Order: sequence, then C-alpha cells, then structure tokens
Amino acid sequence: MRVGLLPTDRGGSYRFVIMLLAILGILVSALPVVVVTIMSFSAAETSGFPPESYSLRWYGEVARLFTNEDSSSAQSVVDSTVTSLVVALIVMVISTGVCIPLAYALARGERRVREGMELLFTLPLVFPLVMLGIAFLLIAESLKLELGIWRIAIPHIALVLPFVLRNCLSAMNGISVELEEAAISLGASPMRAIWDVVIPLMKAGILAGLIFALIISFNEFTITFFMYTIDVSTLPIWMYSRTVSSLDPSTLALSVFIIAADVLLIVLVDKLIAGKGNLF
Amino acid sequence: MSTTTLSKGQALAFAAPAFIAILPFLVACVYILRFSLSAEQGVIEGISIRAYQELMTPFFGRSVWLTLKLAFIATVIVMFMAVPLAFLLTSLRGSFARRLLTVTILLPLILNLLVQAYGWILLLGPSGALNTLLKSLGLIERPLFLLFNETGVLLGLVQTSLPLAVFPIVSAVRGISKEHLEAASSLGASNWRILRDVSLPLLRPALVGAASIVFAFNASAFAIPLLLGGRRVQMMGVAIRDMISPLFNWSGAAAAGMILILLTLFVLVVSAWLVRVTTVKTKG
Amino acid sequence: MKYSLTRRGLLKASAGAAAALAAPSIVSASGNFSGKEIRLLTWSDNTGLAILENIAKPFEEMTGAKVIADRTGSTSEMVAKLRASGGRAQYDVITLAGVGAVELAGDGLLAKPDLNQLPNLAKVDPRFRTGADGHGIGYLLWTGGLIYNTKTFKEPPKSYAEMWEANHAGRLFMPPATWTDALDTIFATGKMLGGDGTNADDAFAKLSELRRNILTFGENPAQLSELFRSDALDIGGVYAPAFFAKELANPEQSNMGATYDVEEGFFADLMYTIMPKAKPGEDDVVHAFINYTLDAKVQGVMAEAVLNGPINQEAQMSEAAKASPFIIKPEQLSDKAVVHDKSFIADVREQWISKYQQTLS
Repeated sequence: MRVGLLPTDRGGSYRFVIMLLAILGILVSALPVVVVTIMSFSAAETSGFPPESYSLRWYGEVARLFTNEDSSSAQSVVDSTVTSLVVALIVMVISTGVCIPLAYALARGERRVREGMELLFTLPLVFPLVMLGIAFLLIAESLKLELGIWRIAIPHIALVLPFVLRNCLSAMNGISVELEEAAISLGASPMRAIWDVVIPLMKAGILAGLIFALIISFNEFTITFFMYTIDVSTLPIWMYSRTVSSLDPSTLALSVFIIAADVLLIVLVDKLIAGKGNLF
Repeated sequence: MSTTTLSKGQALAFAAPAFIAILPFLVACVYILRFSLSAEQGVIEGISIRAYQELMTPFFGRSVWLTLKLAFIATVIVMFMAVPLAFLLTSLRGSFARRLLTVTILLPLILNLLVQAYGWILLLGPSGALNTLLKSLGLIERPLFLLFNETGVLLGLVQTSLPLAVFPIVSAVRGISKEHLEAASSLGASNWRILRDVSLPLLRPALVGAASIVFAFNASAFAIPLLLGGRRVQMMGVAIRDMISPLFNWSGAAAAGMILILLTLFVLVVSAWLVRVTTVKTKG
Repeated sequence: MKYSLTRRGLLKASAGAAAALAAPSIVSASGNFSGKEIRLLTWSDNTGLAILENIAKPFEEMTGAKVIADRTGSTSEMVAKLRASGGRAQYDVITLAGVGAVELAGDGLLAKPDLNQLPNLAKVDPRFRTGADGHGIGYLLWTGGLIYNTKTFKEPPKSYAEMWEANHAGRLFMPPATWTDALDTIFATGKMLGGDGTNADDAFAKLSELRRNILTFGENPAQLSELFRSDALDIGGVYAPAFFAKELANPEQSNMGATYDVEEGFFADLMYTIMPKAKPGEDDVVHAFINYTLDAKVQGVMAEAVLNGPINQEAQMSEAAKASPFIIKPEQLSDKAVVHDKSFIADVREQWISKYQQTLS
C-alpha cells in the first residue's frame, strides 16, 4: 500500500478537503491567465469577455514586432529580450551557486545562527521595491561606475536570494547526516560526500531555486525601472509602455507570448538540471 | 572528526560567496537608514529624526495596521492552499501532470500584474463574468463589489504570494520519510491524525519559512493595492511609492521603509520564537 | 500618466522670449543631421507613442538624424529618476508636465535653450512660449474635464455636481490624490459651492460625501477604459480626455464621452520640452528637434492624435480636429479655463494631497 500525504484509495473527508483547497489554489493562480489567453485569441478590435469570435491576428502582430521591427525611434524589443535573458541567466547561476554552500553550512550549523541568517536573507523581500530601486540608483550614480548589464544583475541577485536560499534550505532539511557519514565511512572525502550524496538529494530544492531566480529576474519590473538606461533595458520595461497605454488584444497576445517564453525556459532548466522526467 | 558540524572556518568559507552576493543590498539598507535620518527631504544632509516625527499621524498609523492585517490574513489563506497544493504536487505520478501543475502555480509570478488585474476585472469586476452570471441566475440584483476594496487586495496578495509558499513546502514534503507515515498508518491512525501528529510537525520548519517569506512579501506590496485596490486601500507600500514620486519626500519614504522593515522583522522573530517554544513543548 | 503637482502660471507672458523672437535668426529646421543622434525621454502612455509616430519619425526622415526614444512612466517618475541620476548625460530632450520642468530647473539640471534657434516659437501664443524660468519650451496644452458614460448620459453633464447624484453610487471614479487632477477636483468642488476654488475646507466637506460612491481611483487609464466598456462606471473627473483619444472616437464601443463644457469650468496646463545640462547629443540637432515640435503641421497632427491643445496659432488641423469638442484651441481658453496660480498651488499642494487622500479613501 502506498502511503502518501494524499491517499488515493481511502481518504474520505481528508482527501476531499485537501483536493478542494488545492483546486481553489489552482483557480486563484490560473484564472486571470486563462481569461487573458482567451482574450488574446479574440477576433474583435475591442475587449468583451468572452469574445464573440476567435482569430490569430494579434499573434501575427506580435510576430511582426519581432521580425520587421521599426528600425528607428523605439527601443528594440529584440535587444530588450536578449538583455533580459542574459541578466536572468547570470542571476540564476550566481544566486544558486552561492546559496547551495550557505544552505549546507546553515543546515549543519547551529540552530541560532541558522535562524539569524534566514532572517538576514529574508530582508530583500521586506523593503518596498520602490525604495530599494531608488537607493540602488543613487548608490550606483554616486559611485560613477559603468556597470553595463550588472547595473540590473546585481540588484536582481539580492532580490532572488531569499527565494533561492529558502528552497535550498527546505531541501537540506530532509537530508539526514547519516547518509553523509555512511559515504565518508566508505572512504569518500567530506567534500566528495557533499558532492555525491548531498547535492543530488538537494536537487529538487536547487531546481526550485534556479527556476525562481530565473522567473523573478526575467520578469522583475520595479527595481529595473530605476536601474535601466536607454542602452541597457529589459523586456518588462519595454512591455510596460504598452500596457500603460492600452490593454488591447495585441498586448494580451504579447503577454501570452511572454508566458510561453517563461514556460519554455522553465522546462529547459528542468531538462538540463534534472535530466529526463525527473522532479517537478 | 565529526562530519555533522562544520568547523567555524569551513562554515565561513561556505557562507562567504552568499555574503558577497547580498553585500550590495546591505549597502543599500545602510544607505536607506542614513537617508531616513536626513534633515532634507530630497538629499542626505544633516542628521534629524524629523522624517520619523512627520510620520506619526493617525493616518499613517491606520496604514500600518491595515498593512499588517492584510499581510497576515493573506498569509493564513495562502498557507491553507499551499500545503494541499504541495501534497497534490508531490503525489502526482505522471511527469506531465506535475509539470503542468508546477507551471500553473508559477503563473502569477510570470504574467505582468497589470494584465493580471485586467483578467480579474473581466472576471470579478462590477460587470464581469461572475456578476453577470449571478445576475442572470437571479441570485443578486446589485453587482457584488469584489474588486477595488480590501477583498480585491487580499485576492491579489494571495495570488502573487502563493507560489512563494508552495515550493519550499514541496521540497520539505519530499524530505518526509515514508516510514514515519507508514508507521502511523499501520497503527491505524486516521489521515487527519497523521496530518496533525506526524506530517505537520515534521513540516514545521518549512511551514514557518514559507509563511514568513509570504508575510514579508505581502507587507511590502504596492502594485497589488494600486491595481486591485483601486488605490482605496492605503497599504504602506503605496504610501512609500507616493513619497518617492511625486512627493519627492525621499527621507520620509526611507523612514517609512525602516518602520516597515522593523515591524516585519519583529513579526518574523516573534513567530519564529513562538514556534520554537511550542516545538520544545511538544517534544518534551 | 501625466500627473503634475503644481501648474505653471500659464498667463505669465514671457517678455524675454518675445524680445528674442522679434528678430529670429534664420535657422533651417530641415538641415542635414545624418549620423547625429538624439536621445528622447517621453511618457509611456499613448501620448508618448504619438510623439514617436508624429514627431520623431518625420523628423528622422526630414533631417537624417536618428531619434532614440525611452518611454518612461509619468512626469513624476521621470523627475525621480533624473534627480537620482544627477548629472549623468543620458537624454537630449525630455517632454514633461510643467511641474517636472520647474522641479528639475530648481535642481539646476536643465540648460536654457537658445530661443534664436527656435524660429517656430514666433508663431506660438505668447502666453505659452517658455516657462520654468526659461528652461522649458512650451509644447502642448493638457486639459481636464469630466468623463462620462454615453449610455447613462444622453446629454453631456453640465456640472461637476452630477458626481454627487445618488444614482451614480458605486459607479464613480476620481483622480488619484497624487495627480494634479485631484487638485483640480478640489478646485472644481469649491467653485461648484459658489467659491473661487480656493475655499478648500468647504470643498473637502462636500467631497467627503463622495466617499461611498467611488468605485475606484483612476490610477490606470486603461483600467478605466475597460470599466466604461463593461458599463461599470457612469462618471468621473477631473480627468484628461487625452488618455482616451481612441475610445472617445468610438463611443458605441467604449461607452465613453468627455466634456469641457461644464458650469464650473475646465482645467488647462502647459507641457514643456526641456534640455538637460548634461546631454550626449549636439546642440544644433537638439534645437532643431525642439523647434520641430512647434511646427504648425506637427502641432495639428499631435493635437488630433492625443487631444491636447495646440499652442502654435497657425496649427494645421483637419476639419474634424477643428470641430472636435475634445481639443481646446488657445483662443478657447476664455474665462471657462481654470489655470492655477502656481504659487498658490505650491503653498497648498502637500496639504491638499493628504487631505484629499484622508477624506476619500
């Protein structure tokens, strides 16, 4: 008999309540996206929900944006997308890279130290982003550094650390020390034991951290709004000027397109890190 | 030699890269603290607590209370949905279903908030799909106002912070050893009892971690109250944004930011302490 | 979103500008600037988009210069960012609301454009030529009135008092406290009560009656447009029709109408183009660009595209635009137009903003 947290064979009220709450959660997460996706296929010029007829015309417009772009005047959507991707990749690699050893040290360290550190690494979440954005900008300008793409990457890294660390720590919680000790007793060096035993077991948490870093950086708006320059800009900044002026179906089609890009990235990361059919 | 605890040097070496990564943020924190003590509104000059004094109004007090209240309620609701979602996610066997569910939960982080708010208006607005349906069924006469008030803000907060809670819990659920559950189950404990006596206590660190991240995230929210609160719900994030621009009272914004950060930290520390106290009790 | 906090006193004619323009030197706007670049900062809403289409693009075609545009948020967001960036040379030309120009000029971040290089200024209504102590060059007039639902109102509402009608409960929107339109609203309420607009205490007492009627504050014009389309709003103001050029042209679809013809009057504010002290581009091409924004044809096209009032007295408009009730021409700024006294607004601004917020939310 398989015993899980969500029993399949017998469950009664327990299973019912759990499923109900989970479905509620799914609805809250997905409903706006579903509506927006439906609307993006509308054939009508203006927005009425649900649309009377459907078409792909707005996606045609999005494709046009990327292919025969206006050579002049507007910021390039292609450049912005590339910048967003590069920043997101940098942020993902660095934030996860620094959080894995920290999570290990905290999980194996003293409880009080761990709690303090967790709190410290929650801080980036607590400050309102507008305040952080302007502080980063003031500091960057007073140092007069030409940071290029790091203008955006450095604040993003700080911003995703809470998510990455929490996920790595949660994963560490389940890994018992005995496993490591067993590996060491079989002749592995402590580092070897970490690499061969602990890291693979942490994979779920690491992966979740990577994906969070990727998504948050790729879609971050508020801090980026202060830090971007006319030469180094990102996709959400580009997108902003479109959504302020109007919420026409082409904007919605673009949103769906961005969601698709995100999902593609997530699946890619999943495949690369987790291997086939693993984990999430 | 003990492998279970790292030496001080090792621990430091393991933690150092993360400290370098968070350093720019800590510099920004110190900068904000310094700014909050500036005697001028727009630049750092002189030392004064004027910015703090000017915040001591009943209006700001109400805003602080509202912020903590909404962040707390949203956190509770989120936890009630996140745990079942984590259970569901870990019990799905097909990898496609698992991926689909993961992506679905992540959606609120991906989609532009303005566009999401637009989706909610189409659904729950005064003339949205829900109100139209209820009206045509004859259940209501006047539209239900679900947006542009505290309900709308709560909905938005829950939605955007749900993914932050689900994934740490998922990682922890994976870590619960099946033996624990099987043992409890073979002793004839009901599902509810297993949940109360075995699963939840084992998940406790992850639950606290998830809840605190959600609370902190929600307490500093500003886009959601602007878009789904119709600006009628004065959370602190909104007040701070207004002070940055167009009021250009940056020292005031910094002071409000410091107050928010201290309150949030206080709540987090107290909740961590409460959990520790209760854990010790149950263990004893 | 173009919210400004104080408005320039529009009526103050600039004697200096007039003198300089008496003998404009001959500078050809169609000079050859190929290879040169201009970095333009403008609004992120549809008015910014219109600048790209109707000013930047033809300017590029005519002169060979390249215009690189950044469309960033509202006037106050631009000011916040520019202030924080200090003297960093990022932009050559910026369009913003009057208050932004005043703020930035006060910070010493702006250069004074050479009026001799702006021949088109001669055709501009003398009241609107320069501002912000010579740092700002007039651009277009931003105007605010009442926005209403054409399904609810067969005739445009005639007074702001309409907002208090009980049948609009839950179907009313108002400008957010931080927008200048909120100050306009306080003014309008004061005038409705028989005062001159500065009778703020009476106005706030009256405004507090609206608290329960408000559905939302109009933080986001696209959201308002959707609420009108789905027939969830009846009326709101003071708000700028300029946000809704597309909707107002098609009331059957959008349900939206707008009017300036209100008993208590409407509100006008001059917007500027400015030139930062530290700028990456060259003087001649930047001046040529500013001059081009005042071109008779450009002013006409822009007025029609974003429903702003042209300030070039010879602005070339289509018949439709001339007849449009949504575009205010300079000669229509009679006693119906409220143009705030800058110093008065500066005095009461902060107090009014917080009072408005506390009264209504």
